[in-house]
Amino acid sequence: MPDPILNIRELTVSTPQKRLLNPVNLEIPEGGVFGIIGPSGAGKSTFLKSLNRLTELVRGLRVDGQVAYRGKEIYAPKVDPDQLRSQMGMLFQQPVVFPTSIYGNVIFGVKHLGIEKKSQWAEIAEKALRQAALWDEVKDRLKKPAQQLSVGQQQRLCLARTLATGTDIILMDEPTSALDPKSTEAVESLIDSLRQTHTIVLVTHNMRQTEKLCSNVAFIGLRDGIGTLLAQGDLAELKASTDIIELEDYLCCETPGIVDTTSKRSHFS
Amino acid sequence: MKRRAIHLGFRALTALSALAACAVLLGIIGFIVSRGWSALSWSFFTEEIAHVGASGGIYYNIMGTLILLLTATLCCTPLAVGLAIVHSVYLAEHPLRKKLTMVLYLLNGVPSILFGIIGMVLFVQWFGWGKSWLSGGILLGIMMLPTVTITLIERISSIPGRYLEAGRGLGLNQSQLIRSVVMPQSFGGLITGLLLGLARAAGETAPIMFTATIFAGATLPSGIKESPVLSLPYHIFILAQDSYDPVTKTRLWGAALVLVLIVFALSLAALPARLKIHEEADHA
Repeated sequence: MPDPILNIRELTVSTPQKRLLNPVNLEIPEGGVFGIIGPSGAGKSTFLKSLNRLTELVRGLRVDGQVAYRGKEIYAPKVDPDQLRSQMGMLFQQPVVFPTSIYGNVIFGVKHLGIEKKSQWAEIAEKALRQAALWDEVKDRLKKPAQQLSVGQQQRLCLARTLATGTDIILMDEPTSALDPKSTEAVESLIDSLRQTHTIVLVTHNMRQTEKLCSNVAFIGLRDGIGTLLAQGDLAELKASTDIIELEDYLCCETPGIVDTTSKRSHFS
Repeated sequence: MKRRAIHLGFRALTALSALAACAVLLGIIGFIVSRGWSALSWSFFTEEIAHVGASGGIYYNIMGTLILLLTATLCCTPLAVGLAIVHSVYLAEHPLRKKLTMVLYLLNGVPSILFGIIGMVLFVQWFGWGKSWLSGGILLGIMMLPTVTITLIERISSIPGRYLEAGRGLGLNQSQLIRSVVMPQSFGGLITGLLLGLARAAGETAPIMFTATIFAGATLPSGIKESPVLSLPYHIFILAQDSYDPVTKTRLWGAALVLVLIVFALSLAALPARLKIHEEADHA
């Protein structure tokens, strides 16, 4: 087996009051879509954010353990977290478009990171929008406000924005939970097409999506009120492991194909 | 029944307060317009002051006030932006943050005459500038500083966290985030704050009367030392104090009306920027 792109060892996350995530040991292989499933509030998003050190921006959150990205420890003292985050793009539950034009959004990272010359921007934008399967829909209105796009288009725009910065891994936090079925399908087929060029870590609440997209899956459940990595492997293996009560509960009671709109959305609306 | 009575009483009280505020404003404006309207003419705007304000116009008074306001804006803006960013970003979790807020409120409470005295000691005497537009502009800028900074701080703190998180998620560092998200998205707060500050600064007399402005005999400044300007508030102050001639009184109200119009025009000029911000807030 080749070296994993992310090698997570004894990773824990806690607040001063309580542990949020019990030690996680996980290897995420390069390429493909790695799924992270589990009930709401089990710490899937927190885990995802600890992979590009976005957890550091939350006051009082403490991360221990090791994460090696392409063999290099990301929590080592000399690592520049901003540099790291530009290589590990992130897609949120609700698309976050900045209050500027469509074009302004695509090149937002490139422009403000100062990684490419201005003369290159238009080309980069077109390439990223094509990759995000959005080019044909927006090529005639690049200067229009991005907030006029549908939510599904906005989510693909966010994806284009992170692709434009030359990201290597894309961390997706329930990227279709706010979308209607048609937009969900568009984003899903986009994720499918990106598996050739990128490594995608997909947090999802949706078993149908997991079955459709994910080659490998990790299940994070709540055990004694603390998020715990309870199972990992391919989906068939996971479904076969009937000895894990939390997993069985989750699989039996999760209605396939229903878009998750519970709990966390209210914070963003 | 009792609840309903309290409810109605409270509503009446709030409506009355609103009405009272509007009435005072409309009363003042109506008074100024009715007294000063007849003084307005083309020559009133374009001519120099003559016969101790009894004839001629207030061209250089308007220009002087505009010069003072522009200087104040230019002095205040970089300081306010810097302070607001230090307060909101770099001191976000620091105990000094509260102290800085307190200093801003204290500064806001300093009586304007004190700025005048301090300005006179510092600029007029110690720097040896004499009366100069620059000292007046700087003093007005410092007086506006708390208003502008606090408005800006409030706007920055209302930037939705998701923008900051998305920005950091793209790999932007703190200073890149300030330039790409914090500053553009709080621009409306800067404009609003400047307007509030300028509206007050435009009418201030105390800080500029010893430091920057004279009643007559100045045109446009050509240097810093001994370069006073005329100004509208000081003009009004002197005429109100010394004039018993009804024609001059009318011209005094005319000058007051022009001052009100300048403030009104400033608000109007900034309207597009402010409307745009509201629109964005609705979409977000």
